[in-house]
Amino acid sequence: MDYLEKEILVLGCGNILFGDDGFGSEVIQYLQKNYNVPSNVYVDDAGLSVRTILFNIVLSEKKPRKIIIVDAVDLGKPAGSTFHLDVDEMPEIKCDDFSMHQVPTSNLLKELKNFCKVDVKIIASQVQYIPEEVSLGLSNVMRDSIPSACEMILKEMSPL
Amino acid sequence: MGKRIIIQPVSRIEGHAKVTIQLDDLGNVADTRVNVVELRGFEKFCIGRPVEELPRIVTSICGVCPWSHHLASAKANDAVFGVTIPPAGKKLRDLCNSIAYTEEHILHFFFLSGPDFVMGPDADYSVRNVIGIAQANPEIGKKVVRNRHLGTQMLDIISGKSIHPVTAVPGGFSKPLTQKERDKVLPMAEEVLEFAKFSIAFAKENIFPKYLDTVKVLGVFNSGFMGTVSEDGALNVYDGKLRLMKPDGSFTDFAYDSYTDFIAERVEEWSYLKFPYAKSWGEGFSMDVDNPKGIYRTNSLARINVADKMATPLAQKEFEEFRAKFGRPAQLTLLYHWARLIELLYNAEHAVELLNDPEITSRETRVPVTPRAARGVGCVEAPRGTLIHDYETDDKGLITNLNLIVGTTHNNAPINMSVNQAAKLLIKDGKYDQGILNRVEMAIRAYDPCLSCATHNLDGRLPVRIDIVDSEGILINTIQN
Repeated sequence: MDYLEKEILVLGCGNILFGDDGFGSEVIQYLQKNYNVPSNVYVDDAGLSVRTILFNIVLSEKKPRKIIIVDAVDLGKPAGSTFHLDVDEMPEIKCDDFSMHQVPTSNLLKELKNFCKVDVKIIASQVQYIPEEVSLGLSNVMRDSIPSACEMILKEMSPL
Repeated sequence: MGKRIIIQPVSRIEGHAKVTIQLDDLGNVADTRVNVVELRGFEKFCIGRPVEELPRIVTSICGVCPWSHHLASAKANDAVFGVTIPPAGKKLRDLCNSIAYTEEHILHFFFLSGPDFVMGPDADYSVRNVIGIAQANPEIGKKVVRNRHLGTQMLDIISGKSIHPVTAVPGGFSKPLTQKERDKVLPMAEEVLEFAKFSIAFAKENIFPKYLDTVKVLGVFNSGFMGTVSEDGALNVYDGKLRLMKPDGSFTDFAYDSYTDFIAERVEEWSYLKFPYAKSWGEGFSMDVDNPKGIYRTNSLARINVADKMATPLAQKEFEEFRAKFGRPAQLTLLYHWARLIELLYNAEHAVELLNDPEITSRETRVPVTPRAARGVGCVEAPRGTLIHDYETDDKGLITNLNLIVGTTHNNAPINMSVNQAAKLLIKDGKYDQGILNRVEMAIRAYDPCLSCATHNLDGRLPVRIDIVDSEGILINTIQN
């Protein structure tokens, strides 16, 4: 599929090898399995490769109207709680995932929002625990929050 | 009182690194170290898993070159199962590898290293970046996006998934290429080839001549080199034999699975990342820039140095020009960029060549496999260096032992040495500025290091921060962008 041709992009981010960090990927898999995605929407488990996609969009003439990022964060909220996050609220810990180390004081999501006028939405879920060593699988509370994250994505997919 | 300069993380490399420059009491460089954080627990995680799962799992190690890990793992599986894959399966893997190379090399030259050269190493950080280069050269920016996107589209068509590939399987390639798909992909590959031709011509006319003085001095030291060649000595990034070249240009060829007879991995207490070295040279290991021992380099310049020739005509022409100018082995570190563009051209030509091969659409792309107790070594040339996957299994095909040496790890010692040389060259009497520190980073970026394979940092960071602390550990100055 060609993500540069779509009106809305939904990108799941994170590393499935590090427990709850794989939340974004798991949400995308659940979404693809259980919901009918409209034809104007591109849904992808971007995993660790989200920067590649965002980089191409930043420089492309064609841009989506909206990008929905699904990711795990650690902001000290109740584990498994799912919420909207503004790009400017992204913790530094996560900003690096959206940077190609090109822009010293910003990142690709901010470029898209502030300079490319793309509507960037971040749907985040609070992790319970991210292991320091490789360990597969979400915690139970994160797994339980997948359906609510999908509902939030669907609302964001609604027409203008 | 000595000072310590810390650059953390180094910007515009894939992954993260911290550079520490220790100054002596006179303000000259006493020592340097490049640190990265290694991914922990992957080997342990794999023990007991079915070996055939590995080609899919390893794509989650790295978001930058998943295809290299995917293919090295599939080749290690072939060896474990003791099978020879059908020619069409091998060609489809080779094709995907070359397409992935074109994407990576275009990205690196134009947007990771490009800002140093196009905008200049002393240009302000606010413009010496991807946005700056796109604004200064909008037409090139469009072409880069177009050609990288073509790469993604081609991989999607050929394999179904470009980001987390699954089609290289034990015994071959799971998805034959149809004639219709081939006809769709071929013009795309031809367009990328045209851009590859443009890229090297553009660089030779507009970039390299301006920076030859810098190329001659920055990060320079003499080392050996390692890369993969075909039986006839031509550069090959998918399959062949390993060639280990000494600094004097003499070399030894060996099969992948005997790499432990030639390479050892050293541990330094100050770094999580291992330091591979050429143990077969029998001289031990030393990162003394003036008298290195056991040090070899990998990645583009290494591959060009160890190769006798290129397998495609346009790349061969560029190869001959390069060798006539810089000799064999070429030791100047910034020549990695030039070598990378020759490889871009080779891979673009090779992709077109493979797509024109009638066998590429054969339906015979895989053979069945049966679990057994065995050891299997898979190796490909990842864009950033030789990538080795070494697996052992029990009679049920479950992993009992595993070792990975990723491309950047081979260059761990050389990167440290180039930084040391560059810092000593540029920092005198305690005087340094952002331009000087960026030149130190340029020595690292020449290697196009991808530390994502070895890194899973959980700590927050600023893109570049330089802390200057005295010998008592007290912070006396901070510079940040």
